[in-house]
Amino acid sequence: MNRFGHIIIREWKRILSLKVFYLVMLVVPVLLFSFYAVIYQKEEAKHLSFAIWDDDRSPVSRQLTFLLEQREALNITRRVSSEAEVEKLIQEGKILGAIHFPANMQKDIYSRHPVNVTLYTNAASLVPAKMVYKAVAEVVITGSSGVILKKLIKTGMKADQAMALANPIKLNSYQLYNASYNYQEYLVPGLITVGMQMILIISSMLALNYEWKTGTMQELYELSNGSALSVITAKTIAHLVVSWFNFILIAFVVFPFFDIGVSAATGKFFIIYSLLSVACIGIGMFISALFKDVMLSGDTALFYTSPAFVFSGFTFPRWAMPWYDQYYATIMPYTPFLDAFFKVYYMNLPLHYAQADINKLLLFCAVMFPTAVLLFQRQFNASTDEKAIRAVHH
Amino acid sequence: MKKQSGQSITKLLLREASLVAKDHSLLLTLLIAPLLYAFFYGSIYINKEEQNVKLAVVDDDHSRLSRLLQQNIDNSPTVELIHFPNLEEAREQMYRGTCQGYFYIPKGTESNLLSLKQSNVVLAVNAARFLPSSDILMSVQQICLTIGAGVRLQYYQKSEGMSSTIAMQNVMPVNLDYRPLFNERSSYGAFLLPGLLALILQQTLLIGLSESVAGERQHSGIGEWLKSGISTGIWGKGLFYLFLFSAYAFFFLNVNYSLLNLPMRGNGFELSILLILFIVTLIPMAQFIGSLFKSQLLCLQMMAFSTYPIFLITGYSWPFESLPLVVQWLSKLLPTTPFIQIYSSIVQSGASLWANPAALVHLMLLWCFYSAIAYLRLSRLRKRSQ
Repeated sequence: MNRFGHIIIREWKRILSLKVFYLVMLVVPVLLFSFYAVIYQKEEAKHLSFAIWDDDRSPVSRQLTFLLEQREALNITRRVSSEAEVEKLIQEGKILGAIHFPANMQKDIYSRHPVNVTLYTNAASLVPAKMVYKAVAEVVITGSSGVILKKLIKTGMKADQAMALANPIKLNSYQLYNASYNYQEYLVPGLITVGMQMILIISSMLALNYEWKTGTMQELYELSNGSALSVITAKTIAHLVVSWFNFILIAFVVFPFFDIGVSAATGKFFIIYSLLSVACIGIGMFISALFKDVMLSGDTALFYTSPAFVFSGFTFPRWAMPWYDQYYATIMPYTPFLDAFFKVYYMNLPLHYAQADINKLLLFCAVMFPTAVLLFQRQFNASTDEKAIRAVHH
Repeated sequence: MKKQSGQSITKLLLREASLVAKDHSLLLTLLIAPLLYAFFYGSIYINKEEQNVKLAVVDDDHSRLSRLLQQNIDNSPTVELIHFPNLEEAREQMYRGTCQGYFYIPKGTESNLLSLKQSNVVLAVNAARFLPSSDILMSVQQICLTIGAGVRLQYYQKSEGMSSTIAMQNVMPVNLDYRPLFNERSSYGAFLLPGLLALILQQTLLIGLSESVAGERQHSGIGEWLKSGISTGIWGKGLFYLFLFSAYAFFFLNVNYSLLNLPMRGNGFELSILLILFIVTLIPMAQFIGSLFKSQLLCLQMMAFSTYPIFLITGYSWPFESLPLVVQWLSKLLPTTPFIQIYSSIVQSGASLWANPAALVHLMLLWCFYSAIAYLRLSRLRKRSQ
């Protein structure tokens, strides 16, 4: 076997025997990715605690309450009698929203007086508030349209014409790629891939400098004939192969087990995943070659990778961020990866739609690897000088 | 005896300060990271909500009604329309990520209405991204309803001969008056920022202190650290963190809240009590976690992966009741869960500290629990080191 193969096998042995590698690269992915999938197992937030404030107590208010009870998103847990009570219950976290049917609502509807039904939500909890709003708005809009329809039919109008007037502009909406706003489908692949970026950088940042800690740098020098290029290439291959094992875990274990993801796009996912892996390993190698001190290396890697999820625009779009944050987002490989991931995975589009993002990932590799090689070659050369000096002293 | 213990605590506090000053990793985590993260992460949401989300529009009707629809959508602060001559181009732009969906007004939309037939318009949004697609959907839905109401108004006035007042009363028999409490604009930033700042405070404390304890094990400092007793050791070291993170909490609530224009609706004194209770619960928890590691580096690596899972199961970003039961139990073991419930109710809805008595008792019980397990664990480590 040539020296290149030896370094690869040596690196795998290190990965399997040193805690700082195997815990991060092999144990954390299994636990973390399964945990993410379990969190969102219920897929949608349902049965949100909701209160009814019914000052009308009429057949109409009872009918509306019945319709609200049928909504899966809502769980009517209480009856209340004032706005202050609604606020108090929200403050205490006992309800997430409430609806008020005013006194004389039915009478007003029949006597052609418009009625205001008030919906309160705890918008400080944005996700449930939006769900409560959606469920209630649908009921109230349907109820209102029903009232109009009845009135128009009473005037002798044909049913289809009455329908046309009750809802003149019918909006046919399609939520593409995630029709039911399934949170598990949406968040879990994103959380897993951002976790993968962190795993790759936090482990590869020790690929070079940890050799000092284990006292094996000289051995590595001899094995590679003093070539930083050989070391970095071989170690990159070793780390990349381990990241492919994690790909198998993600695409063939976690996703199918939890019924997540677009299996038809797995091949394209593999390509962009591999590019992300190489880019991250490049960054890790660069950090590892830059700092001899492993703690400093760890702090730098942590500081660099931890904001990736929020800066990438996954949950809050990048265009809504201030310009300086948008620039910062571009220095993380997860940002172009995510843009590509949306297109080729979630939307299952051909790879060419992600060409620009792929180019950006390649740019990371083109910058990081040569820089890491240069930095590490200097360290490598210095290590032999140190050895020579030590030999002279002895 | 008491005096002696007080002196030991002070000594340990000073020892910790000197330890942090010498350890650049702790220095970075404890002195630079909290401030940097608070400004850095906070700035992302400074605009609070997204505006001008791009939506492609294809108008095959070219009528007064279709122009009115487009004008209304374009005037809404959330959506910005980009015009395309056909659906293929609009779809292509969505594929390329230039816009987040497309709106199609087919031929005959206006003429259908004039002949009392329902008009169908189409909105397709890229729901792979939740926030932009749901914002577009909400906005366009509202506009279609409003314009639909306008159509009815004209019908009642022209065909039924109603006066404008009577017609108005008939247009929308039941109106929905939506009042989003404690975040009037339902903005993402106002929702996330208070929780995010609390999380930064928690994570930097947990990472820093657990690293410090792991460092004691790594450098065989357990014996020296705990020589005056376990409790004195826990609180001597912990006092440094209590002072430091109380100062950060004060800083975040005054400087960051003011810079990010976040309202603090509750009582400042009650919030201070809560924050101190939270920090004193985190201190033994961090010491227990740190005591599980022999290496500072490994502790840092593992703790780096704790941030997102903790945040996701506290019930802040996802309703607690919607978590699987096992995760709910795990979540209940975290001080963040009761804390965030009380904290957001004080800060965002102006509640009193006592409005959530169950959560308050829960947090106190966790303080006792973590103090006990930290005590037991450190006793074992001290015995082993002797």
